Amino acid sequence: MAILKTEKLSRQFGGLAALSGVSIEFRDHEILGIIGPNGAGKTTFINVIAGIYLPTEGKIFFENQEVSEFPAHKRCHLGIGRTFQLVRPLPGLSLAENVMVGALFGKGLGKREARKKAEDLCGFLGLADLGRDITRMTALEIKKMEIAHALATQPKLLFLDEVMAGLNSEETMEMIDLVRKIHRQGITIGIVEHVMRVIRELTDRVVVLDWGEVIAEGPYGEVSNDPRVITAYLGEET
Amino acid sequence: MKKSRPLLYLIVLAVLFTLPLYTGVYVLNVMGIILIYMALALSWDMLLRSGQISFGMAGFFGVGGYGAALLFLNTGVHPLVSIVLGGLLAGVLAWLIGSAVLQLRGMYFAIVTLALAEIFRVIVRNLPDLTGGPEGTILPQAIFAGNSTYTYWLVLTAAALSVAVSEVFRHTRIHFALTSIRNDEIVAKSSGIDVFKYLVFLFAVTSAIQGITGGAYAHIYGFVSPEGSFSVDFTLLPIAMALLGGMHSTWGPVVGAVVLGVVSEFLKLQIPYGHLMVYGIIIVVAILFFPQGIVGTVGQRWKKTGSH
Amino acid sequence: MSLVSKLKQSNYQIAIISVILIVVLGSWKPHVLVEGFQRACLYAVIALPMALILGIVGIINLAHGEYMMLGAYFAYSLNVYIGMDPLVAIVPALIAFFLIGMASYRAIIKYVLGTPELNQLLLTFGLAMVLEQMANLIWTSRPIKLPLQYVSASATIGSFTFGTYEFIYVGAAMVVLVGLQLFLKRTSMGQAALAVGQNPRGAKLVGIHVDRTYLLVFSLSIALVGAIGAIFMTRHSIFPLVGAPFTMKSFCLIAMAGIGNLMGILWCSLILGLAENFVLSFRGYAGWADILFFALIVLVIMVRSHQREVK
Repeated sequence: MAILKTEKLSRQFGGLAALSGVSIEFRDHEILGIIGPNGAGKTTFINVIAGIYLPTEGKIFFENQEVSEFPAHKRCHLGIGRTFQLVRPLPGLSLAENVMVGALFGKGLGKREARKKAEDLCGFLGLADLGRDITRMTALEIKKMEIAHALATQPKLLFLDEVMAGLNSEETMEMIDLVRKIHRQGITIGIVEHVMRVIRELTDRVVVLDWGEVIAEGPYGEVSNDPRVITAYLGEET
Repeated sequence: MKKSRPLLYLIVLAVLFTLPLYTGVYVLNVMGIILIYMALALSWDMLLRSGQISFGMAGFFGVGGYGAALLFLNTGVHPLVSIVLGGLLAGVLAWLIGSAVLQLRGMYFAIVTLALAEIFRVIVRNLPDLTGGPEGTILPQAIFAGNSTYTYWLVLTAAALSVAVSEVFRHTRIHFALTSIRNDEIVAKSSGIDVFKYLVFLFAVTSAIQGITGGAYAHIYGFVSPEGSFSVDFTLLPIAMALLGGMHSTWGPVVGAVVLGVVSEFLKLQIPYGHLMVYGIIIVVAILFFPQGIVGTVGQRWKKTGSH
Repeated sequence: MSLVSKLKQSNYQIAIISVILIVVLGSWKPHVLVEGFQRACLYAVIALPMALILGIVGIINLAHGEYMMLGAYFAYSLNVYIGMDPLVAIVPALIAFFLIGMASYRAIIKYVLGTPELNQLLLTFGLAMVLEQMANLIWTSRPIKLPLQYVSASATIGSFTFGTYEFIYVGAAMVVLVGLQLFLKRTSMGQAALAVGQNPRGAKLVGIHVDRTYLLVFSLSIALVGAIGAIFMTRHSIFPLVGAPFTMKSFCLIAMAGIGNLMGILWCSLILGLAENFVLSFRGYAGWADILFFALIVLVIMVRSHQREVK
């Protein structure tokens, strides 16, 4: 069963085609990698699925329902979650409260339930000292908070946008374990990454974007040997 | 500390409520003006917490005033009822305008609100049969026959209402929504927040408060007019007060209102013609040097020295 | 290809509609045509400097109309104290307000340039209030008018008499529009300004002095608006609040035309000017003319936001 399906999805910005005819399926409970050189359209893809941009052409089906025109908050309610590359935590709110926002508005939990959920999620991800000010957090902790925030909306499909960026070797390992932990909860995951080791370890399948088009699809092993993919990356390290 | 807060409010309210017992008419009048501006300053700040500026306070203030006055004159409802209905009218108008305009935010919204006072003024002037035209309308008598204690309590109620709404916004999920929307709308949307609906709702509620305040004002002075009811004072002073006292809080606009209210009494005597200039200067200085306002700056100093 | 022919089609349609409109108005209400045109140019010539600041410096100046008001009072004062005709006063006004613009930029405006739009709106609002109250203090709120003979010049075509002095606004609009286009496209300073407007960081990288460009553009805009105030003084009575509606109408025009579209401001001001005068021509409804710009802004916002739905 495909939890998410796109049909010839396109998004133009002025004269630039950020996405062209992208047709992808996310199978239930899989971890799908989305890779491609810089500017290939990976984040745009997430933005269009999440509803930040509406498609200029094509359709999006989530759990067999067409959501192409739905506003972003409605898609969140349906179960599409995502993290942001550039995390901007809410000033004036503590760590736990930042996560609570997702719980409060993702599925409309009451304040007490939302707080409990936020605390549970932080524990799940290994975040402590929840009352602290968000200005005193490490890079890894901020990423975990961002993931907790997205998880708080109780997504069925979660997009992780370059969550490994800027992490050292140890932190990357920890994050990989966390992603597996999240996956075991039954959440389908779409992971955008530049760090190929992560993609290799985590994903069932991989989709390669270049100039807004899908140029390859399949298990990482196959795709990484595809000459078109290699050309697209033009020597980007794996 | 959070548990003592309602107690603190009750004490303050009790003190304020019993004020007529031990002060005279002059103090009550000054307090009354302060409370009116306090309500306006709070309503402005509440919308500001979502990241939007409204320059339309004077507009909705006047709408509430005219609404209350005309309803009272034409249907004979009790003045208090007409004040509430005047506020409702302002709220409904804001809801309509907001629904049309809040899809584009920032300067587009702000400038539309800036035009509102003028627009409402034009409408009022052009329906003289209904509104009395350019000369305005006089009410047969001021509410409570001008009894200063009762009018003071009326204004105190309006101000207490705004404080209550402000605190509700601060301590419920609305606080999370507003903070999120203000910080980054895209992230807010992705958290499941219907940004547009929240903004329209907020705009309607804060404008209704402005309308209620305007309705009370109209009945207290017994008079509505295009120039007086929509005066730019009702936009300028609340903004200066909120900026002076500190944005994004309940205490900030309250403190700002008290400080500027008292100061303005002196100013009116010293510089009768240009004292409004001071408020403009306060706004400019506040934006340039004190974006946190008095309360914000003091609050930060407190945090640094370790108390609280 | 289909996009180009669609555009050609809509231009064609617009041209035909405009011609029909002109003919109809010309025969039915010629006053509306002439006075609307004159009025439109007044709006345009005030809006263009605001558009310049918004497009290049990136700041919305809510005190824009107040600088025009001060320009009017400036010309008035020169007239009262040294008997200078306000039209002659355009030259000292340009100089004086260029300096005033520089002072405003250096002392106040530049500090909010990187900051959130909120701060800019509040700051310029406060500035507008200060300027209005300053004028109130110095000259009181009593409307002032200069009794100048030449402003009542008129001409007659057949049975239709109209004021000809007001064509000065048309002249001013042409001068400013052409002047700005030449400045922006032909001079190196102007091209630098355009570059800065498009991409301040990129401009800095190629060595353009961004702050100086902002200073120049801002001061130029204030100078123009002050000079226009001098012209305005000749024909209208002035009072401290006279500038405020022009700020809002200028913004309306910029919103209609789109930021950066200088020519568009001219066309949009024609729409506003003609529409206002059209309403003014109906006796009982004249008072409603001042609402038109508001209706237009709301309309523009609603249309724009639906375009943005494909966001």
